[in-house]
Amino acid sequence: MKQSIDSVIGGPVVEEEIHLTLVELCRVCKVPEDEVRRWVGEGALEPIGEAPEHWRFAGASLRRTRVATRLARDFELNPPGVALALDLLDEIEALRAHLRRLAGGGTR
Amino acid sequence: MKFKDYYEALGVERGATQDEIKQAYRKQARKYHPDVSKLPDAEAHFKEINEANEVLRDPEKRAAYDQMGSNYRAGQEFQPPPGWDAGFEFRGRGDDVGGDADFDPSDFFEALFGRHARQAGGRARTSRQAGGEDHHAKVLIDLEDAYRGGTRSIALRVPTIDAQGHVTLEERRLDVNIPKGIRAGQHLRLAGQGGPGLGGGPAGDLFLEIEFNPHPRFRVDGRDVYLDLPLAPWEAALGATVDVPTPDGALQLTVPAQSSAGRKLRLKGKGIPGQPPGDLYAVLTIALPPADTPSARDAYAAMAKAFDGFNPRR
Repeated sequence: MKQSIDSVIGGPVVEEEIHLTLVELCRVCKVPEDEVRRWVGEGALEPIGEAPEHWRFAGASLRRTRVATRLARDFELNPPGVALALDLLDEIEALRAHLRRLAGGGTR
Repeated sequence: MKFKDYYEALGVERGATQDEIKQAYRKQARKYHPDVSKLPDAEAHFKEINEANEVLRDPEKRAAYDQMGSNYRAGQEFQPPPGWDAGFEFRGRGDDVGGDADFDPSDFFEALFGRHARQAGGRARTSRQAGGEDHHAKVLIDLEDAYRGGTRSIALRVPTIDAQGHVTLEERRLDVNIPKGIRAGQHLRLAGQGGPGLGGGPAGDLFLEIEFNPHPRFRVDGRDVYLDLPLAPWEAALGATVDVPTPDGALQLTVPAQSSAGRKLRLKGKGIPGQPPGDLYAVLTIALPPADTPSARDAYAAMAKAFDGFNPRR
């Protein structure tokens, strides 16, 4: 093995291999636990498990929570507003994906 | 350093009220917020208005900026005069800025208000052991990297504090292993590559969000990949076996006879690899050969004759 191999860093793909606890998710996204609890209460995030201390968030929640954190901060959105914005963004993304599938060139 | 006109950035008059500033910021943010906007320059634009808002919404920072800035125009060469900020204390939102990992001020902002505000966010002077902060960054890779996996060298700009306590941005290069099958929007977690821990605490993690460079040929939707496949009219009409480029090399594809433009032919499992792998779709288009020689024109004329009665608009 060449030495340079040692300096190559790798890690798991969050969305495929990782579930996050409430504490981990909040630390990674730099957001207070209360806020995430309220988003879960609105159905904007859907962890597995009953009580918050047993919650497990799928890896895809990382991106969603980061977006929620930025929207809440930059637009002063309350939790129902965050949930609505996330749903609308999902819908827009689905429509964009539909457009991408149609012919027309370009990568976006 | 160039002077920045924060009023111009938000599109408000110098005499604007705090409410007007807030309204102008919100309006621009709705248009340029990177999570909401797909405009190509959204991120850079949002950075500008965010910084303008950071100064103008804070009465003390705004007053200091006004006192110094009324004779400058945007883009003009600028150095803050010595002692310009005497009498002001930038305490207002300083701590908030420190806790805001996304706020990335310009040199101009830092020259006026310093970068120290960023460091003030809660961790200073703790003697306890504490884990380092998790960091986030985006990395652009090629679609081909997702097909094959491999190593990508990425450059990050990391704020570091020197012996005198000054904060400078340092470039840090990392060689990162890109796992085969990764998709746009997914994150890699690189343990221990985030901010350093305090008091012997563990370093934070670095989360890399994957994005694909725009590709001239392929469009990506999740794990599926699309490309336009041009055919000659006779290939579409009579059927043909043609070469199809894929991010993993060319493949042969049998186009059935009587294919029309817009038809999607699926190459199962030839999308982004994984469990399960995505599919590759060839979207058929029909290219007309130019009628630029007598024989080409004759061929079209013969076709018109042969298809007498064909009307594509009916």
